[in-house]
Amino acid sequence: MKRNVFITSLTMIAAFLILYGSAAFSGDVKLLRMATTTSTDDTGLLDYLKPYFVKETGIDIQWVATGTGKALKLGENCDADVLLVHAPDSEKKFVADGFGLNRNVVMYNDFVLIGPASDPAGVKSKNVKECLSAISSKNIKFVSRGDKSGTHQAEQALWKASGLPVPDKEPWYVQAGQGMLTTIQIAAEQNGYTLTDRGTYIKYEDTMKGNPPLKILVEGDDLLKNIYSVIVVNQAKCPNVKSDLAKAFSDWMSRPSTQKLITGFKLSGKQLFFISSK
Amino acid sequence: MHTPVYHLSGIKKFYNRHPAVDIKELSLHAGSITGLVGPNGSGKSTLLNLLAFVDSPSNGTILFNGRKAEPFSEAVRFRVSLLAQEPYLLKRSVYENIAYGLKLRRGDSSQYPKQVNEAMALVGLSPGEFSNRPWYGLSGGEAQRVALAARLVLKPEVLILDEPTAGVDADSARQIMACALTASREWGTTLVIASHNWKWLHEICGSVLQMFKGKIIGNGMENILFGPWNQGHDGYWEKALEDGRRIRVSTPPSPSSAAIIPQSFITLSSHAPTMKQDEHVLNGVIAQLSLEPATNTVMVSIRAGSQIFTLRIPQEKARETALFPGQKMYISYPLSAVTWC
Amino acid sequence: MNFILDGLFQAIQLLIRGDGETYSAVSATLKVSTYSMVVSLLVGIPLGFLLGHHDFLWKKHIRTITDTLMSLPTVLVGLLVYAFLTSRGPLGEYGLLFTLEGIAIGQAILAIPIVIALTATAVESIDEKLRITLISLGADKKQVFYSTIWEARYGLLAAGMNAYGRVLTEVGIAMMVGGNIKWHTRTITTAIALETNKGQFEMGVALGLILMAIAGIVNFSLSFLRNRS
Repeated sequence: MKRNVFITSLTMIAAFLILYGSAAFSGDVKLLRMATTTSTDDTGLLDYLKPYFVKETGIDIQWVATGTGKALKLGENCDADVLLVHAPDSEKKFVADGFGLNRNVVMYNDFVLIGPASDPAGVKSKNVKECLSAISSKNIKFVSRGDKSGTHQAEQALWKASGLPVPDKEPWYVQAGQGMLTTIQIAAEQNGYTLTDRGTYIKYEDTMKGNPPLKILVEGDDLLKNIYSVIVVNQAKCPNVKSDLAKAFSDWMSRPSTQKLITGFKLSGKQLFFISSK
Repeated sequence: MHTPVYHLSGIKKFYNRHPAVDIKELSLHAGSITGLVGPNGSGKSTLLNLLAFVDSPSNGTILFNGRKAEPFSEAVRFRVSLLAQEPYLLKRSVYENIAYGLKLRRGDSSQYPKQVNEAMALVGLSPGEFSNRPWYGLSGGEAQRVALAARLVLKPEVLILDEPTAGVDADSARQIMACALTASREWGTTLVIASHNWKWLHEICGSVLQMFKGKIIGNGMENILFGPWNQGHDGYWEKALEDGRRIRVSTPPSPSSAAIIPQSFITLSSHAPTMKQDEHVLNGVIAQLSLEPATNTVMVSIRAGSQIFTLRIPQEKARETALFPGQKMYISYPLSAVTWC
Repeated sequence: MNFILDGLFQAIQLLIRGDGETYSAVSATLKVSTYSMVVSLLVGIPLGFLLGHHDFLWKKHIRTITDTLMSLPTVLVGLLVYAFLTSRGPLGEYGLLFTLEGIAIGQAILAIPIVIALTATAVESIDEKLRITLISLGADKKQVFYSTIWEARYGLLAAGMNAYGRVLTEVGIAMMVGGNIKWHTRTITTAIALETNKGQFEMGVALGLILMAIAGIVNFSLSFLRNRS
């Protein structure tokens, strides 16, 4: 009796597996796999664009959202067909090393420096150089992504551009090793400053119901431009990647109609991404 | 002469290089009842496991009905069954426990309930009351009887019982003993029984084997005296009893050896016998007297200090000497009768 | 503090509303944990039986190794499996990266040592007398195996539940090997990680509670089966 129950449940599990197994292997549609950064996914931009892309090209798309560092690594390992990332220096190296083709700048937004409303470092409305010098000389808490993401790389470039050494073990310099929103939250908990892309900040502002403890203190500096580009993974290095689909995506992102969609994407009534950058 | 059911030759079983069983030659015949006695750790259970083919000897061969057999041999499956000391019940109902072997044998399944009920009746468990009981709802004696029924239901050619009555209530013990005899009488089952119940064994067994340190050292009519032995200043080897008296023996191979004195070499008398050269005399009191009706002998246990000597005398002689418990007696034995193990 | 209570309400809402994303994650979680459990039980129970039932050279050392593997960090397993499944890895041609099957492989690697070690313990704790009893009732080697497994069923159930708990709640492998792809390889745990990263704590709590509910249902039904037998 009990043995029967046991065997019956095993059979049911087996049947379940076979059904799902066959379902998983059927339907080999045109599927594009993209590795991208968390900001494009967290803000909802990709979810917003996907149905248009599928409808207009007949290509299905899936993405793995991660830091730009890991996204590039996935491309290097041939685990993605196309990349949508925002770390120009690393991207150029990636293409130079032969892993990627057709680096196609598709949009930009900008980074902003945020900090407590009380602004203990006194950086409001200063430029980036002055701001970072003030933070480091006054030993005010600064929270960094610390995860080799596009934002992290942009932040490191800012320290260098300001003529300062990139901090590492300094007690006021906190390396979170987390995504952008978590990093903002850590900065808020610690009453510190951080660098974020504007899109994520708007999202954060939105979740805080318009009254966030951290405010934008420095913005609009040319150094703060955050450029997103699409890179097709090189089929010469990765024979199995679908570079035709990847190319189709890259082209589609540059289409005027798509660019219009991107500028039309708003969160809390604010535009997140901009086009026609150099 | 039929082929014996068992023929063992040169059997050794080692545990951690220590020989637990060491038997040069042993035959058991179909339908016989063999008793196995010996102190704890003398190798009885190990020997029974070998006979039941649940374990293989390290050296030597066991012939079963003339053919070499080992654990899982088809020749012994369902024919030899062992009731181990403190048996294990499967985590199932009483019915399922008893029917387990039948199901493995794949007989006519419509007969199972009848066969199980018969086996339960045999061990004195009412099927109505016990069939559906879970394994944990039984007393020690009931569990032992369920385990026995699981063996009896197979009507095995050989039934091996390891201390079947140890630790069970008197009523269950009586039932178990009766069942063993029924199996022997009704089906001609060959029985091998290890037990501390000497009286029972001597009553029912055709032969009793005395085991000690893994060896068969006799037929159960031996006294075993443990060391350590010391050499006295007069040159004799002896052991002091608590009251200062000494038990004298022949020269042991090592001071810790055990001395074996067959009962037949011990003389019993009510008066101090004259000391002879190379003979030892000791006095003690009769601790127990019991009649063994099968052989018309009386078993006499004499206590000297903490040592008990056992011997048997014809019923006639016991009557003539008018023995009674508590009586002071003398025993004597020649030192040459002492063997060592 | 508020977000925990909000999370509870949100969990109920998600389930009642039939939220597609939530159900997709639940379905992915159930599928992947079922695959990995079936594999790890099929592999782990016989190996655990061998380890618990037989004596052989190095047995003690092998036990120590499996006991150690019980605390394999999920991130390490994720990285190892990624190294094998990536297009440049030895198994890259099978296209298992970013699939549920790929996650299941990693989770099976996580669960197998647990099943082996706990099965071995369960089988070891069974009396030597069981073997003697089974043989003397006429069981052959295969029947000894099956009956011993059946006798150890409560121990095995515990082994399975333990492994299931680990598989159900792990996030490192699902993230690294599965890639947290929406509608596809997003499991409940990777969804929780994502929602937390996005600052949607209520959503994280809600999904966490749903995961707990699944674990609860599985445990309750198993203990129901157990009590019935």
